[in-house]
Amino acid sequence: MTNDFAVELDNVGKRFLRHADRRSTLKERIVRGRARNTQDFWAVRNVNVEIPKGSVYGLIGHNGSGKSTLLKLITGIYRPTEGSITTDGRVAALIELGAGFHPDMTGRENIRLNGSILGLSKVEIESAMETIIDFSGLREFIDDPVKHYSSGMYVRLGFSVAVHMKPDVLLVDEVLAVGDEEFQRKCFDHLYTLRREGRTIVVVSHGLGQLEGLCDEVAWLDHGTVQEIGPATEVIGSYLQRVNTEEAKANAEVASDRDDTTMRAGSGAIRSMEARLLDGQGDPLNHSETGATFGIEVTVRCHEEVLGPNVRFAFQHETGPLVTMMSNHRQGVDFGHIEGERTIAAFLTDNPLLPGRYRVHIDIFDHTGSVLIDNWDDALEFTVRSPRGEIGQGFVELPYTYEIK
Amino acid sequence: MIGELYRQRALIWAFANRDFSTRYRASVLGWAWSLLQPLATLLVYAAVFSLVFRIQAPPLGSDPDRTSFAAFLFTGMVTFNLFSGLLMLSMTQLKSNGELLRKVHFPAWTPILGASVVQLVQVALELVVLVAMFLWLGNIGISWLLAIPILLATAMFGQGVGLMLSVVNARYGDVQYIVQVILQALYFLTPILYPLSLVEGTADWLATIVKANPLTWFVEAMHQVMYSLTSPQWWVIPGLLAFGLAVFWAGFTIFNRSSEDIGEFL
Repeated sequence: MTNDFAVELDNVGKRFLRHADRRSTLKERIVRGRARNTQDFWAVRNVNVEIPKGSVYGLIGHNGSGKSTLLKLITGIYRPTEGSITTDGRVAALIELGAGFHPDMTGRENIRLNGSILGLSKVEIESAMETIIDFSGLREFIDDPVKHYSSGMYVRLGFSVAVHMKPDVLLVDEVLAVGDEEFQRKCFDHLYTLRREGRTIVVVSHGLGQLEGLCDEVAWLDHGTVQEIGPATEVIGSYLQRVNTEEAKANAEVASDRDDTTMRAGSGAIRSMEARLLDGQGDPLNHSETGATFGIEVTVRCHEEVLGPNVRFAFQHETGPLVTMMSNHRQGVDFGHIEGERTIAAFLTDNPLLPGRYRVHIDIFDHTGSVLIDNWDDALEFTVRSPRGEIGQGFVELPYTYEIK
Repeated sequence: MIGELYRQRALIWAFANRDFSTRYRASVLGWAWSLLQPLATLLVYAAVFSLVFRIQAPPLGSDPDRTSFAAFLFTGMVTFNLFSGLLMLSMTQLKSNGELLRKVHFPAWTPILGASVVQLVQVALELVVLVAMFLWLGNIGISWLLAIPILLATAMFGQGVGLMLSVVNARYGDVQYIVQVILQALYFLTPILYPLSLVEGTADWLATIVKANPLTWFVEAMHQVMYSLTSPQWWVIPGLLAFGLAVFWAGFTIFNRSSEDIGEFL
């Protein structure tokens, strides 16, 4: 292999026997003989991926598309059924944090044990010990048995050990969704540090916004085969497009269900039927860009005449926080009497939202603002990208100026 | 093989440390249990077999007019326990470390050998008691030194078989129960509770089985050097060592070859 790649997957395939067909006792094995091969399935197949040294590589795909299997193949927990895998340097996996912890041992003892399992020498462990303890933020409890730790503390300790073993290749599987805000941020900062140090990182995540900011390249897996490989923004874009079309297909099937909006809260005098993303000119849009005006449009059906409703759009970031809420009452806009089918649009001037995934919840109140008419959670989900390709810290970009004196 | 063992010494030691510090952590008497259990067995067996069945131990090496059934029995027990302890413990290690092996890639035999280190500490404690027993009896001899290579060979034998069976047991969970039954039978087919000469007077087939049992070779050699204070014929100990090493090598090789994708089976 050339030395430009940290990991090279050459036509890799992994076949599993279905669990139901595994001979787990000798008696079964003897009585029923060898397993028939009809129940095999390929978790991944024909995968050709080259991960350049010093890059951050993302793996995306729906659940069961083979992402985690691929990571396990790279770490060596699984052997490929066909093809070959070459890795250059020490590989560490953040697949299951704290997997090697023994509940009766103290945090410090577990750091030693986990470090040894991950391949560190005694000297390396002892020299990293203080950094690990500081990073985990668990100094106070480090000499208590880990069985008294909360699950969050457990994971923090596991992450701290794994990232401080100075791996050449770090595999990260969905573990960034753990720990509190502060620790998550710390983890991300650390991943950026590792990246700056020229280490290779492979990330599996459903947080597409996070991936888009972090990754240089992304491979999109679908049912165990590679659909597309390329720059993060492009691949994530086409992945989202696929997800959206499939969702639209599924939605079309349940459209009648949605029409029957009896499950929703509110009086029901108005029901929101369909929500769309628009650009500044009112044309449909797939994703929005930071700095570019865009709109949200909702089609509502009035079952009776309604006086001056308040139609609100709430924006929620993928990590949970409510970012902002748009309300026509707050803007002093009165729709007057409305009836029949109407479309209502709100435009966000020079979109201040930073790159990420956002969900829109729509609710409608009556003119007094006290009676709920309709409430539609998750009406719409969309991605905000940055035209400049970088990711911001936080959710919004506020107007600001700098001065130097 | 040796090189690989040496390279992983830190990891083996880390697992040994884990098992060592957690083995009796929740019990009051702690390590005393590891001695109380074999001593209780010794007491019961010694009482039943010497008083009820009236089995005579051979004469002591230091004084042909005296015998000690308890010392004879304990010599055999320690040797057999060394073998069976390593075997049983090794066999279940892959399963008890399954959580880890499914998620992290590292040599799967390291937790097994780590556990064995702890088991060896227990055997060492038993040996101390055995030696104390012989000192008290005044049955002391230079032939004791030969016990070291014999025990080493026994340990390699048990470890080798344990490594082989651990992979099989990871895939077919009932192997460990079968082995338990076989070990129980072997215990009685090894001259531990009776001197070998007693079997020679019985049915030929039985004597043949007992003599063909490899454990008989190890236990008999221990009886000779520790109890009778004689040295076995010159080829016996090199033979046992070669046998033990061969089994260990075979176990290690088979284990390495068949455990590469062990993470999938646990």
